[in-house]
Amino acid sequence: MRPALEVTGLGVRYRRTWVLRDCSLSVPTGRVAALVGPNGAGKTTLMHAAVGLLRPALGSVRVAGEAAFVAQDKPLYDGFTVAEMLAFGRRMNTRWDAAAAGRLAGLGIPLGRRVSGLSGGQQAQVAVTLALACRPDLLVLDEPLANLDPLARHDVMRSIMAEVSGRELTVLLSSHVVSDLEDTCDWLVVLNEGRLQVSGDIDELLDGHLVLTGPDGASAAGTRVVGASRTGRQVSMLVRGAPPLDPRWQARRPGLEELVMAYLRSPESAALPGLTGAGV
Amino acid sequence: MIWVTWRQHRAQILVTAGFLALLGALLLASAVEAGRYVAEHAPPGCPGPAVACGDLAVALGRRYDAVYSVFGWMPLVLPALIGAFWGAPLLGREYERGTHRLAWTQSVPVWRWLAVKLSVLGGAVVAGGLLLSLMVSLWRPVFRTGVDSTFGNIGVFNMVGVEPAAWWLYAFALGTAAGTLFRRTLPAMALVVAGVAVTMFTLFQLSDHYAEPARAELSGTVLLEDPDARLVSAAWVRPSGREVAEPSDSGCPRRVDAGHSSKNAEAWQACLFGKGYRYAVYYHPASRFWRFQWTEGGILALASAALGGLAVRRALRRPG
Amino acid sequence: MIEFNLDRGSGVSTYLQLVHQVKQALRLGTLRPGDQLPTAREVVESLAINPNTVLKAYRELEREGLVEGRPGMGTFVRQGIAGATLAEHTRLRRGLQKWVRDARAAGLDQEDLRALFAVVLADTAKQDVA
Repeated sequence: MRPALEVTGLGVRYRRTWVLRDCSLSVPTGRVAALVGPNGAGKTTLMHAAVGLLRPALGSVRVAGEAAFVAQDKPLYDGFTVAEMLAFGRRMNTRWDAAAAGRLAGLGIPLGRRVSGLSGGQQAQVAVTLALACRPDLLVLDEPLANLDPLARHDVMRSIMAEVSGRELTVLLSSHVVSDLEDTCDWLVVLNEGRLQVSGDIDELLDGHLVLTGPDGASAAGTRVVGASRTGRQVSMLVRGAPPLDPRWQARRPGLEELVMAYLRSPESAALPGLTGAGV
Repeated sequence: MIWVTWRQHRAQILVTAGFLALLGALLLASAVEAGRYVAEHAPPGCPGPAVACGDLAVALGRRYDAVYSVFGWMPLVLPALIGAFWGAPLLGREYERGTHRLAWTQSVPVWRWLAVKLSVLGGAVVAGGLLLSLMVSLWRPVFRTGVDSTFGNIGVFNMVGVEPAAWWLYAFALGTAAGTLFRRTLPAMALVVAGVAVTMFTLFQLSDHYAEPARAELSGTVLLEDPDARLVSAAWVRPSGREVAEPSDSGCPRRVDAGHSSKNAEAWQACLFGKGYRYAVYYHPASRFWRFQWTEGGILALASAALGGLAVRRALRRPG
Repeated sequence: MIEFNLDRGSGVSTYLQLVHQVKQALRLGTLRPGDQLPTAREVVESLAINPNTVLKAYRELEREGLVEGRPGMGTFVRQGIAGATLAEHTRLRRGLQKWVRDARAAGLDQEDLRALFAVVLADTAKQDVA
């Protein structure tokens, strides 16, 4: 099947600095992909390239179908009422889901109120509903959960996940808080310093890695070490591949956050499809 | 898209329309009142050049000046306001609030968004300018028929014909381009005000060269008899036929006048005329009204197109 | 009908939590053969989780023969888990309480109890396999 998003050799430059370099990745249709990385890693730039807000200097970005975007500060027109924001969406898009108004009303958002009079959570909900209502094939959300209280986070995620379960919608959402994404995402993309580090199915990634704990000096031959830390005589490391032969190791499956952190701490490691070497 | 344009800019559209309606009412009331005054007080054959018409002319002049003092500032201030409130926020505010990332990620492509906004709002601005011009052109003859035309006074000239429309469009385009330059509204507004003022001064200087000035040689007086003409320059012509700026070796004594008196200057001029000097005046006659209108309108339209193109280019190049 | 809830700090993956909760409901009799499980969309709308997680849990239950998906209708319970009746539950629970009191009297603390229970559980599992 054609991937929903396909990025090939993408390079983006602001003036003389490369913000993104040689990024190639694809997200299969129907997936909820987490785009993770520290601030300044190029997440927003990658998203802007995906929705056509910038022209890449190198490479190409291909979206199968229509993309909708919710930018980081969830921009809306302050002076518009919620109903007018919906009218804006209806008139600016070829496809439109008329049930959007009902959904907002169902969440207790008054359609006659001005956007500026809504709470931050309500504004986020309006922005997300607007993006979903044009029935995109790919929904791109830049830090959708930032600055939201737990209840609003839950509500926003619920709307998105319900839409994913209802039809073939692919989602790409960024966050620098990995724990936000554990239950919602099934695909992981890690960006670090403008380069792609990890891209793949989350379960496969977690199954393909091990957290090893053992005495200093135990042999990890046969595995590819992503990152290691030593405390006293104990070593713990995240490795890729089958468990090592040395019986002194205790092995377990890593958590998502552990995996992401290990990669972010060692920018030279990578886990990408088609790449055999993790760690150089 | 049309609805979106209307909804986003209806405040400016309504305020401008309201202002034009108010101005229209004022001009209409003033013209009706003047018309009634003429019907009641004018001696037969007036208004006209006859001596008996003097009182009427004074009365009409007073009425004209009263209204003119209200909108004498309009040729400069109105374009500045149009640029600041129609042009500068068009893109500046979108960038400032980040809403361009909302507007430009819908199904409607960015180029179409720009095309509709620029053409609808640009069209509205031109229509508003033409309406202003029409109202002033209908109102003014009630008072000034037989007194002067709209050519000589640059302030009046800028409020009739195609001038208001051209100025408004130019200010709108300047504001739009400034919005893409600063990506903020307030600095863009400031640039518009400064830009309109500088352009107006520049075109005022340049307008002498819109056509080759006509030349008239006067003898016995230094005053051109046409009150509508725009003077460009003047020079003395020696009996030999050579033009000089300052006839220093004529032998006529020149003394400085004190206060408001111009007695000494007049005596000097009379002496020069007596010695066979003539006075050459370079000027543009009022018949060149439309030529000047179209020249200046054309310059402003071209500049508007260039600024609009610049704004579109900047917006399309870096839509994020 | 069953209503799922998640313990996000437990470290147990979400799909396993769903599987466990269905099994628990089957054991306790709150879910019976013929009952319908909530649709993926319903689960997603209440828990805000990825629908694929729900589908994965249901697939696992289907693989174990506990539920069956009927195309276009939903997922239904096929069979209950043969377990103790409620009366037996109560009897066993009383026995266990007595055992815990004995162990306490013998000087074992909470941790010791847990460790002992886990060892016995693992040993019997091994014997069953053997």
